[in-house]
Amino acid sequence: MVKITVNGQPMEVPEGTNVLDAALSNRVHLEHFCYHRYLPVAGNCRTCMVEIETPRGRQLTIGCNTHVTEGMVIHTDSPKAKDAQKSALEMLLLDHPLDCPVCDKAGECKLQDQYMQDGRYEFRRSVPRYFKGGKAEDIGKHVMLDQERCVLCSRCIRFLDEIPKTSELGILHRGHEATLDIFPGKRLDNPYSGNVTDVCPVGALTLKEFRFKQRVWFLKKTESVCPGCARGCSITVEQNKGKVYRFMPRENPEINKTWICDEGRFSFDHYQQNRLEAIRLGHQEHSLKDGLKQLAQILSGMNKDEVGAIASPYASLEDNFILKKFFEKRFDPKNLAAPDWTLKGEADQILKLADKSPNQAGLRLLGITTQADNLFARMEKGELKAVLVMQQDPFGREEAKAKKIFAKVKVLVVLSVHKTATVEQGAMAFPVRPFTEKSGTFVNGTSRLQRFRQAIEPTNQDILPASLWISRLAQEMKLEGFPFEDTSSIFNAMTKEVDALKGLTFNSIPCMGKVLSLSTAATEPFQGLNAQPNILGAKP
Amino acid sequence: MEPQLTKRFGLRDSHTLKVSLQTGGYASLKNLFGMKPEQVIEEVKTSGLKGRGGAGFSAGMKWSFVPKNTGKPVYLAVNADEGEPGTFTDRYVLTYDPHLLLEGIICASYAIGCHTAYIYVRGEFLDQIKILERAIEEAEKAKYLGKNIQGSGYDLQVHVHRGAGAYICGEETGLLESLEGKPGKPRIKPPFPAVSGLFGCPTIINNVKTLASVPWIIQNGGKAYAAIGTKDSTGTSVFSLSGHVNQPGYWEMPFGLPMLEFIETYGKGVKGGKLKAVIPGGSSTPVLTPKECETLTLCYESMQSHGTFLGTGGAIILNDQTDMAKILKSMTAFYSEESCGQCTPCREGTAWENRLMKKILDGEATSKELDLMLTIADNMEGHTICAHAAACAMPVRSFIKKFPADFEKYLVKNTTAVPAQIH
Repeated sequence: MVKITVNGQPMEVPEGTNVLDAALSNRVHLEHFCYHRYLPVAGNCRTCMVEIETPRGRQLTIGCNTHVTEGMVIHTDSPKAKDAQKSALEMLLLDHPLDCPVCDKAGECKLQDQYMQDGRYEFRRSVPRYFKGGKAEDIGKHVMLDQERCVLCSRCIRFLDEIPKTSELGILHRGHEATLDIFPGKRLDNPYSGNVTDVCPVGALTLKEFRFKQRVWFLKKTESVCPGCARGCSITVEQNKGKVYRFMPRENPEINKTWICDEGRFSFDHYQQNRLEAIRLGHQEHSLKDGLKQLAQILSGMNKDEVGAIASPYASLEDNFILKKFFEKRFDPKNLAAPDWTLKGEADQILKLADKSPNQAGLRLLGITTQADNLFARMEKGELKAVLVMQQDPFGREEAKAKKIFAKVKVLVVLSVHKTATVEQGAMAFPVRPFTEKSGTFVNGTSRLQRFRQAIEPTNQDILPASLWISRLAQEMKLEGFPFEDTSSIFNAMTKEVDALKGLTFNSIPCMGKVLSLSTAATEPFQGLNAQPNILGAKP
Repeated sequence: MEPQLTKRFGLRDSHTLKVSLQTGGYASLKNLFGMKPEQVIEEVKTSGLKGRGGAGFSAGMKWSFVPKNTGKPVYLAVNADEGEPGTFTDRYVLTYDPHLLLEGIICASYAIGCHTAYIYVRGEFLDQIKILERAIEEAEKAKYLGKNIQGSGYDLQVHVHRGAGAYICGEETGLLESLEGKPGKPRIKPPFPAVSGLFGCPTIINNVKTLASVPWIIQNGGKAYAAIGTKDSTGTSVFSLSGHVNQPGYWEMPFGLPMLEFIETYGKGVKGGKLKAVIPGGSSTPVLTPKECETLTLCYESMQSHGTFLGTGGAIILNDQTDMAKILKSMTAFYSEESCGQCTPCREGTAWENRLMKKILDGEATSKELDLMLTIADNMEGHTICAHAAACAMPVRSFIKKFPADFEKYLVKNTTAVPAQIH
């Protein structure tokens, strides 16, 4: 640690920290545009100007490219420093179109926020505005470019150079005519293109999927985890009035820094489309109470080894835990398995992993086997009369095989978020909530336990999280130890039974997640992202 | 005084190796290879040789910053991107005595342990590039360049790189970026080029005249060089006069000549009127009034005490018929055009100054705009990666402050007559 003084306040920061980060992490406001913690320093916006005391007197310099040294005395609010900051802001705003009312960045725009806080306000341009570049150019599958809003901080260029290494964008021309543009003949179509809109401090780069959809100040943000693959990137789910408008990466230096892939980013609509809404028994719609009652009656009349269940890596740790607990209580646990019906994708060197399910390691943590051959054999022989399929789609993935193994199963109970092929086959189908509508935990491919919180309420209160649905069913069947009130109490119950979770509570899981000591968990070294190591926990 | 940089100027075929050798060319190499590299650096430090490119930093000191034993190659980049308005002396060294520059390059490269040197030549210097390339070819044939120079066991390759016509590529890190094939945008410091320069390797960047001064030092010793000129400005340099003088041109002389004497004796007096202003070392240096010039001498320390810089030593003389506002307009246009566009204060500031100057000349401005120009200049200088913003701010500030009448005559007196501002 290094002792420094910022504006007369003594502080301690880790060695190698730059002055800007040191100030921000100690809640000292300092303007900045071009600096991004996970990108190389460019030092071109000249807004993070500070005065540093040296033997030759106070020196004005930029904070982002100056590393702290022992005893350094820094002034971020001296008249000279403040003047330099204000002047840079004034110049950035000089020919800005000021189209905030129609700009999607308004509300989270660094130029807007910082100018409001530290601007000069007085309008001094005194010459006609210079029109710089075009408006709303379509430069890629997801991204639109508004050149006239650009402050030329080069964050997007550095992102494309460093992370996907595709370098589609560049600053063309020089001096006052410098404009951000896409290189001729190129399209911004790499699988991480959406991140350029996050790093853009202004509204120059915006997402087609978000343009004109919602003002950001109406959005409520909820801490969550992307369930798109076993990486489990930290995200925030942003919603207004029960509709999710976007997934945004949430800073997590251990997993995804501040990036997510486009596949994950644009999956937000997937959880709002093609949803299973009604509880169906046969071809009739029923209420939840009715459905559970009927199902409880059927299951109560069955023998211990006549019922099977299929757990899921798409379901949360709580869902799988309750399913297992329920099964152990009433039925034969050897008839519980989580066959691998997950989607397989391509891994890249950045974030994406081949396993497209979020909780494969969670199944291993709970000791739920993925070996389902014995279960399938018993189903084929007709030994199992009822099978409960939780958040899996056997008919959608392997239709022929599913037809064969489910042929003699009389009662197929399906818990599903979407209207899947299996739902169509099931005798009973119950809708359950996706991860955006419930709280819970996933264990990612590097055995990191992560928590997600409920972002929105379901349209129908009869739609429960799978775990609470099973808990209600167990209650109907008059099993001891049920029901549970909510998913966090399920997690807290789980910590008493699962060794690796000992000592944790749902609310004490760190927001960056916690690595569990799992001997059997899939552990894969984290690669890619050759950006600067994280230094401090402040928001970049 | 015996000329050091211009001694072959005027000789027939002075650019050839033959003439060079006949007149003592490459004679310093014998001394050079008898010395250790550290001794060479010491000798240059003793000489007090300062960079002739404008910043005036001690050359020997610069060379000593190269870290030892990094395992990386060391490069020498020769800055022949002479583009400062009012400056035209490097081109004559390249034209008339390329072998003197090559000799200097060998001395400097040997001192810093460099085996590959690049000469970055301004794109417009087509003839000079041809001359340089021919000189390198000749020198290689005669074993003055290439492997095992003159049997010393020391190798040196020299390459010529032609610039593409950007003023900012004369800034040392902008030059390196350009040399690497990228847009010439000056780099953020630290790291300094001596530690991480061309291709991430230790690199020394020196001006043509700086390097051309080195052979004399090696041959005659640093002490002898330090005896020439003034205490802080040792040796000789090539000074030039342009603008309103009867005889524009360039002359080699020791530092310390009074400015007015320079104009009178060498420039044969001011043409077309009385002296109004002197821009002492290229357009970026603050302008001086005739009164200030009375005590001014051509050396680093005198320039500094007068609040200006020696710069490149290319003085522009202006007579009393000159409209300083018009001169400043063309200067701001130049700096706005040549800004690389990286840093906000420079990109926006230079163009803003230029737009305000246009407004002033169009007779639409009030004293508010003039004050604004000064404020912008204050907010540009020292706020950017390189000195380009300062190079624009310094003339703006000095022109407006020292010649207010030239600007005020364009101002609208009655403020109500000003057209409405366009938002």
